[in-house]
Order: sequence, then C-alpha cells, then structure tokens
Amino acid sequence: MSAMADTMRSEWTKFRTIPSNVPILLATVAFMVGLGAVTANGASRGYQAAGAAFDATYISMYGGFLFVQIAVGSLGVLVVSSEYATGMIRTSLTVVPRRGRLLAAKVWTFGLIALVMGEIAAFGAFLLGQTVIGAAGAPPATLGQPGVLRAVVGMGMIWALVGLTGVAFGFLLRDTMAATTVVVAVNFIIPIIGPRLMPDAVGEWVSTYWPISAGLQVTTTVHHAERLAPWTGLGLMAAFTAVLLAVAFAVFRSRDA
Amino acid sequence: MIQIDGLTKRFGDRTAVDDLTFTVEPGRVTGFLGPNGAGKSTTMRMILGLDEPNAGSVTVNGHDYVGVTRPMREVGALLDARALHKGRTARNHLLCLAQTNGIEGKRVDEVLELVGLKSVARRRAGSFSLGMGQRLGIAVALLGDPKVLLFDEPVNGLDPEGIKWIRELMRGLAGEGRTVLVSSHLMSEMAQTADHLIVIGRGRLIADVGIGEFVRQGSNVLVRADDHDRLVPRLIEAGGSVQQGTDGSFIVTGLEARRIGEAAMAAGVVLTELTPQRSLEQAYMDLTRDSVEFQTSAA
Repeated sequence: MSAMADTMRSEWTKFRTIPSNVPILLATVAFMVGLGAVTANGASRGYQAAGAAFDATYISMYGGFLFVQIAVGSLGVLVVSSEYATGMIRTSLTVVPRRGRLLAAKVWTFGLIALVMGEIAAFGAFLLGQTVIGAAGAPPATLGQPGVLRAVVGMGMIWALVGLTGVAFGFLLRDTMAATTVVVAVNFIIPIIGPRLMPDAVGEWVSTYWPISAGLQVTTTVHHAERLAPWTGLGLMAAFTAVLLAVAFAVFRSRDA
Repeated sequence: MIQIDGLTKRFGDRTAVDDLTFTVEPGRVTGFLGPNGAGKSTTMRMILGLDEPNAGSVTVNGHDYVGVTRPMREVGALLDARALHKGRTARNHLLCLAQTNGIEGKRVDEVLELVGLKSVARRRAGSFSLGMGQRLGIAVALLGDPKVLLFDEPVNGLDPEGIKWIRELMRGLAGEGRTVLVSSHLMSEMAQTADHLIVIGRGRLIADVGIGEFVRQGSNVLVRADDHDRLVPRLIEAGGSVQQGTDGSFIVTGLEARRIGEAAMAAGVVLTELTPQRSLEQAYMDLTRDSVEFQTSAA
C-alpha cells in the first residue's frame, strides 16, 4: 500500500480510538435528523403564508444543520488540536516526517468521515422531515423532483467542507478553544446572526457571498434570484476551504513542531 | 550512523545549538551528555526534522530523514513518552503509529510483549505510571525494527529494575550493530551504559571521546609519600601526569589509585596518603561548569 494510504489508515485508527469521537458523531447525525423534523413541523404549519417560497427539502435539513455544524466543525478542529494539546503531534511527525502527507491524510480521512456521516444525516433528515411535513398537511418533496436529490447530496458535501474548515483552523491555531471559537464565528455567528446586526448592504453581501451562506444554496430547491446558483455557491465555499487548507499547509510546513 | 555537521539552531536571540559537529557510529551506545538546557533535545529534534536548523545539516544513514519513505524502519525515537493521547489504549496508540509505515498489528503485539506491557495493552495510556509510559515510548521506538535509535532521557521515571532493563536493551541493540544515541544529564547513568560520549554545553561540543578515555582523564588522585623524588618518575613512566599540590602533596592524573600503589611498591616508597579526588561525576561537572545554563550560586 502506498505511504499515503497507510497514513490515512492510521488517521482513521486515530479517529475511531479516541473514545468520545464516534458517539459524538452518531449523536450529531441523530440531532440533525431530530431537529430537522422539529423545524420541518414548525415550518409546515406556516407553509400557506410562504406560498411558492416553501422549500420542503431545505427546511427538513437546515434546522438541524444550523446547530450540528458546530459539532462537525469542532470535531474537525479536534482531529488536529488534540494532537497539539497532548504532544502527540511530535510523535506523529516523527513517524510521518513529511508534513504534507500528514496534513493531506488528516484532510482526506476526516473529509471522508464527515462526508459519509453528512450524507446519512442529510438523507435521514430529508426522509423523516418529509413524513413530518406530510403529516402536518403541507406538500412534502420527493427525491425524484427537480433539484431535490442535488440538494440532499449537497448537504452531505457541506458537512465535509465545514469539517475541513475545522481541520484548517486546527492547524492554523493549534489550540482547541481558539480554533473552535473561530470556526463557530466563521460558520455560525457571522453568516447566521451577523446579517441581523449589520447594515443592510453588508448583511446582503454576507448572505450571498459568505462561504457557508453561498454553499448552502446547493441545499435549496427554490432559487432566490439575489443569491448564487446552487453549484456556484458550493464551488465558492469549496474554493474558500481549499485556500484555508493551503494556508494551513504553508504554516504547518514552516513551523517547528 | 548519524552525521551532524555545523548544526545551529537559534530561538530568538538564544542560540540553543551552536555549530555542532559529530558522528554517531553504529555498533555502540553513544551517550549524549550535557546539563539541562545544553541543547540535547533540540539536537535530537533536528535529527528527526521536527525543528528546522538555522544552519548545518543532519543525515541519518547517509540521507535526510524527512525524505525517507519508511521512516520507522530507519529511526526509532523516544523523545517525550507523554506525547500521546491519554484516551487511547496502549495497543491502539502503537497501532495508529505502526500503520503510518505499513507495519502490521502482529508487530505491535510483539513489541508490547518485548517491553513488558502485554497485560496492560488494552488499558488507556493516560492511566499509566511514569515508568509504564516510558516503556510505551520505547515500544514506539522499536516498532519499525530501526537501524538507528534515539532515546531522550529514557530512564526518567523508571524504577531500578526498569533502569537495568533499558540498559540491557540499549546494549543489546548496539550489540546487533545498530546506532544508539541516548541522552542524559547524569554522568553516573552514562558511565554504566555508554561506550562513547558526546558532551555538550550551551549548544557547543565539549568532548567527543570513548568512555575509557573519559574515565582516564577524569581520575585525579592526591598522593603523599615519604620520597617523592623516587616515586614521581615511576608514575610518569606508568602513564600518569603529576602536578605539585599544596603542603608537600601532589596530584596524579590519568592513573587509578591502585596503579599508583603498585608503582610505589615497585619503587619501595611508603605512601602516606592516597586519595582519589574526582569521580566521573566530578570530571563531568568540571567539564561543563562554564556551560551550565541555570546554575545555583555557591553556598
């Protein structure tokens, strides 16, 4: 097996052998599905008022995602910062002295973990959400309708990108508390709470172009003219994440461990 | 073999390692000795590519460690035994490190057995005593069956039985033709383990000598006799060097007390005093006195 595949296998072992990681990940999926159902229920009561803007697909996933993305980002941070906190990073770099390989293995391994769990959470939230919406008397969506499958699959991809934002800030800041705070600010406070507090023009810009706001357009099936198109938005978020990781690599490579 | 050439590392305006040049040969235990803060750990970290030198170079078996495909097969290192995630079991800690180099679980079990941790393999590493943690760190170093081994203060926290065990382990590894570099700030420890010594102080090389040579240089004996004129030539003949001491005594360097006694007997001279003055520890202290980073003032 190639050295890269070996290092990824090691990263998977590292992830699953920290006692809290797997339970947290499973709880995160459960919360996304459960909270999604609650918000879907709430939203479907007002669907008449929303009219054509009612997005059964988006609403079944977004309510849960809003909160669990904090856990996904934090897990991404911990994949790196727990090694700095314990000193394990020096042991890891002694057995994998190529910094690029260690960073890439962490990115790919955690990216894949977040992607797989994100897809499970997205499909779970969507399916349960549609049952709840139907039961509340609103029109549920089906995977065969235009854009629905893309939206659900896209939600899983957002999980991976949020997780990788965490990995990047973990490398950049090394400290769990600092990195988690920044990730929460970048993916939650600025895009979700920010627009309510900022001047309208700035709020509008944030809602359209801020990486996670743009990315989440891929999870909608009712397009808003002033926002980016679904894949364009996801592309912008992916590009932002890639730049963050590139900066993280440059810093990681040049710094003494 | 480890070759270090003009190695220099600065942290801000402090020079931790200053133009250090030496070679660590295979087949023997090389003691890396120096007071706390002398730059031993920093040097080891540069050998492993954890710290980037400001100048100079390090090669392990002729190449740069960072570029090696299967690093664990080249170098095994114990730098800080506590540098692990406390929540992982001992076996999982070893397994995740082994996997990076394509080493299978079977080898992990072998190494656990070798260091005597087999019965606690499934216990969390965070619950280990200092000594058990040290054994786990040594297990990490041995995983890849490497040609070069680096141990930074390996006896820290070990009980007497553990100290004896690691001494024999290091001697055994060197006996198999491997390169073994072991750091310590205790001369007494090195005296019992090392074949060769590299002594540094404030990042500079102070001595690069065989342990026998070091011992010889280190022994000073205060001698008084009833006839100095007949004894002194005999001592010089035997390989000692003689210096005039105070109030009729003299100091012999390079000869053990027993050899001085024999020389006196051969010359028919009565010794009135024969006092070994410096232990190996003392020789080391003298050698590094000027280069101790943190020194207590004389009482």
